[in-house]
Amino acid sequence: MNSKQVNLLQGTLDLLILKSLGAAELHGLGISRRIEQMTQGTFLVKPGSLFPALHRMEEAGWLSSFWGESENRRRAKYYRLTKAGKGQLVVETQEWKKISLAMNSALEAT
Amino acid sequence: MRWWQTRKRDADLERELRSDLELEEEEQRDNGLSPDEVRRAAYRAFGNTTLIREHVHEAWGWAPIERLLQDARYALRQLWRSPGFSIVAMMTLAVGIGATTAIFTLVYDVMLRPLPFAQPDRIVTIEEKVAEWSNLYPTLPVSANHFTFWQQHNKSFDSMALMQQFSVPLGAPGHPLQVEALSATPGIFSVLQVQPALGRTFTVDEAQRGHEHVAILTYDLWREQFGGDPGILGKTISLDGFPYSVIGVMPQSFHMPSIQTMDTLGTTNHPLPIGVLVPLTFSKERLAEEMGDLNYFGLARLKTGISVAVANEELNALQHTISANLPADEKATLSAAITPFQEKLVGSNRKPLMVLLAAVMGLLLVGCVNVTNLLLSRAVSQKRQMAVAAALGASRAELVRMAIRETAVLAVLGGGLGVLLAACIVPSMQRYLPPALDFRGALHLDWAGVGCAFLLATLATLAAGAAPASMVSRTAPQEVLHNDSRLASESPRSRRARRALVAIEAAVSVALVLMTGLLTASLVKLMAVDRGFTTERTIAATVELPSEGYHDRQHRAEFYRDVLQRLNRLPGVEHAAFTSVLPLTGGGWGDMARISGDSRPVTQLPLENFRSVSPQYFSAINLPLIAGRFFSESDWGKNLALVSQKTASSLWPGKDPIGQQFSRGDPATEKPFTVVGVVSDARTVSLAKPDPMLIYVPYWYRVEPMAGLVIRTRQDPSEMADMVRQTIWSVDRGVPVPTVRTLSGMVADSVANQRFEKDLLLFFAVSALLLAGLGVYGVLTYSVAQRYREIGLRLALGAQRPSVYWLVLRDGLLPVAIGAVAGVALAFGSARVVGSLLFQISPYDPVLSIGAVGVLLAVCISACLLPAWRAAAVDPMRALRTE
Repeated sequence: MNSKQVNLLQGTLDLLILKSLGAAELHGLGISRRIEQMTQGTFLVKPGSLFPALHRMEEAGWLSSFWGESENRRRAKYYRLTKAGKGQLVVETQEWKKISLAMNSALEAT
Repeated sequence: MRWWQTRKRDADLERELRSDLELEEEEQRDNGLSPDEVRRAAYRAFGNTTLIREHVHEAWGWAPIERLLQDARYALRQLWRSPGFSIVAMMTLAVGIGATTAIFTLVYDVMLRPLPFAQPDRIVTIEEKVAEWSNLYPTLPVSANHFTFWQQHNKSFDSMALMQQFSVPLGAPGHPLQVEALSATPGIFSVLQVQPALGRTFTVDEAQRGHEHVAILTYDLWREQFGGDPGILGKTISLDGFPYSVIGVMPQSFHMPSIQTMDTLGTTNHPLPIGVLVPLTFSKERLAEEMGDLNYFGLARLKTGISVAVANEELNALQHTISANLPADEKATLSAAITPFQEKLVGSNRKPLMVLLAAVMGLLLVGCVNVTNLLLSRAVSQKRQMAVAAALGASRAELVRMAIRETAVLAVLGGGLGVLLAACIVPSMQRYLPPALDFRGALHLDWAGVGCAFLLATLATLAAGAAPASMVSRTAPQEVLHNDSRLASESPRSRRARRALVAIEAAVSVALVLMTGLLTASLVKLMAVDRGFTTERTIAATVELPSEGYHDRQHRAEFYRDVLQRLNRLPGVEHAAFTSVLPLTGGGWGDMARISGDSRPVTQLPLENFRSVSPQYFSAINLPLIAGRFFSESDWGKNLALVSQKTASSLWPGKDPIGQQFSRGDPATEKPFTVVGVVSDARTVSLAKPDPMLIYVPYWYRVEPMAGLVIRTRQDPSEMADMVRQTIWSVDRGVPVPTVRTLSGMVADSVANQRFEKDLLLFFAVSALLLAGLGVYGVLTYSVAQRYREIGLRLALGAQRPSVYWLVLRDGLLPVAIGAVAGVALAFGSARVVGSLLFQISPYDPVLSIGAVGVLLAVCISACLLPAWRAAAVDPMRALRTE
């Protein structure tokens, strides 16, 4: 990660991946781009972090993968949320909201 | 993720990464770069794919397995590079683990494997004890009279049974098949908790005299002899010439150990499994006999929660009641002995097995120590490598792993080979099983044995790998790396450790050598002991007369008279004789001789061993006549007797025994015996001890269906076997003659187990000695290499070569000497166990002890010579120039 990038908070990556897959099935690079786009370029997820996370989450049963064809008619591995993954997305979203609320009120306190 | 899918998943991952990389390239291409730049940019953006893959592997949770495989590969590569070391270490472990596993399998089968019955720990044997006869018979089989009383009054047992085992001809006369029959009271089925698979058990009615002609077949006999006939129930078979109706077939899983009672004690090793069960019944007279007929094997099932001690207590109380009510002329002090069935079957085989197990574990220990020693020298030479690894950031745990992985691979390979070795050895150990326990089919390596091997391999890894690992983990990299490797020498700590290991090897080896020496000397003495009879050119045959045609003594005696006459007429035969018990196969029947005029109660009378023999018995085995004469065929029908010297001096001290009279049982009804001669004492019951009081009565007085013939020949006895059989069959074709063999072979066989133990110990001891020698050699060679410069310096400063020689010898032999002393102490410490296996030799025998130490020293000195010579041959100029 380069200097202008914000460090990903522990556990944030999972949430971002879950969120990025919430709307569509994507391949690895697609997920990376989608996160970049969703966060207006704040978070750049490199393959070095992305792939281990994807496989860990697949092991955990939140994602499932399949080989499909990309928009350029190339074979690529696609990921989609499983039922458990969708549940996890809801849980992690709520948790994140709690944390962000708490952080905001902590920083705004006088 | 399953680890065996590793390859597939990994290939998939590689493809995934590649395809994503290509997508990345495509994007870059859209930015309008040249193909080369596109690739480089894509790689830059993507990062290190190998690293990504490793991280993904971690996410999958394979890392530990991958590391394990990598370790194994690495260790194998290292071992491959020094094949000499690897092969020696592996073979050492294989022999140690294999031999230990094989012996353990035998021990497990004999002592630990549960008997194939429900709750086998509750099955116990019952024996009687008669204080008055305890000098000759510490325990006795059970009497039917006492058994009936126990059955009525005990509260400790669920069920009880009496039984006897004998061999009977099955089927039509002419070509009968000999089968083992177990005659038992109906309680046997509830004691063993088994039921016939077909049909039913004995009824109470069938346990009464006159109704007992029913039989239950074992599964194997039913399959083999009756073709598994499903309609066998109700059919009639002929047993011992009598018709028996088949009422049941036992299940396939039913196997019954051979049991020993007075009649069968030591006479034959029952090689055949029990084939048929028949009811054991008692006549009214038998049941009324209060102090006779101590003949039956007692088996019982303890009630849950009742211990052996409690049950024994109760039986002793019942025995006390019986004693109190005995008539005056049969007064005896009775008690009982209860032993778990398994323990009883193991009997006296326990101690030698434990000694063997201890010995083989000693060998394994020496093997492990040797491997440790070898590994330690390797660890020292790998110190630099380890230091580099540590300096590059390897953690302590990783260093230990690096150090122990070779040991682990060695142990796995050694253990695997060991299991193969054990699998080859184990079947050949079948014949060393005690006959009573040889009823469960072929002995083979099973899971217990493999588990044992696995455990041993693990222990070996830990034991042999611990020292090098701990040494490595203490590596201080800067120290090692700063040092010039040529200057670095072994730390005093590690040198001490290696000496201690050599001392352990020496100790165990000396103990093993000493024990082997003791057993060998004991066996030599046993074979050389004055037996009092000769075996040259003599053959012994066993004969089993069927009841049919020979149902009484008269017929049996006449048969033998006929056979003996014909045998004695054969040209090659010097003497042919009948004996109720062949030498070294048992004692004969025990009975009390009442000297005329002695009116003590029967239980106060001295107990002797009786044998019935034909006149030529004494000449056939060269048992010398001391006084009087032998009986002869012309005395037919007369009650004459010969006594052994011991009997003569005990019964008629200070008197001439010739012409004296005694009777068995009641003098009022029995015709007394007249002593006509005295023969010398011998060792015909066991080589290990002199015979008890013996009385020989003529065979016309008593002939049991099972008997022996001894034939002294003028020529090579092995050629006579067939002639003997033919002669017996010329009298009656239908008489089974199970064995014909040389008497010297029987003498050798009576010590077969001791010989087996000695042979095994010899093997263990020689292996341990070799390993110890190898250990000393390894340590010294290494230390000389380490001290190369020091020795060069010494020589340069004027040291004489002999003193260098001595320096190295002392270095090598000091730990050996200490170990030898410890080893002798170890052997003396276990003298109590070993002593009971020895014959006429003290476990503290000084000559053998010194001899054992001498053998070890000789081996170790020869192991020291080469390294010492190398040290003395150091060229000081060259040694110093290597600086």
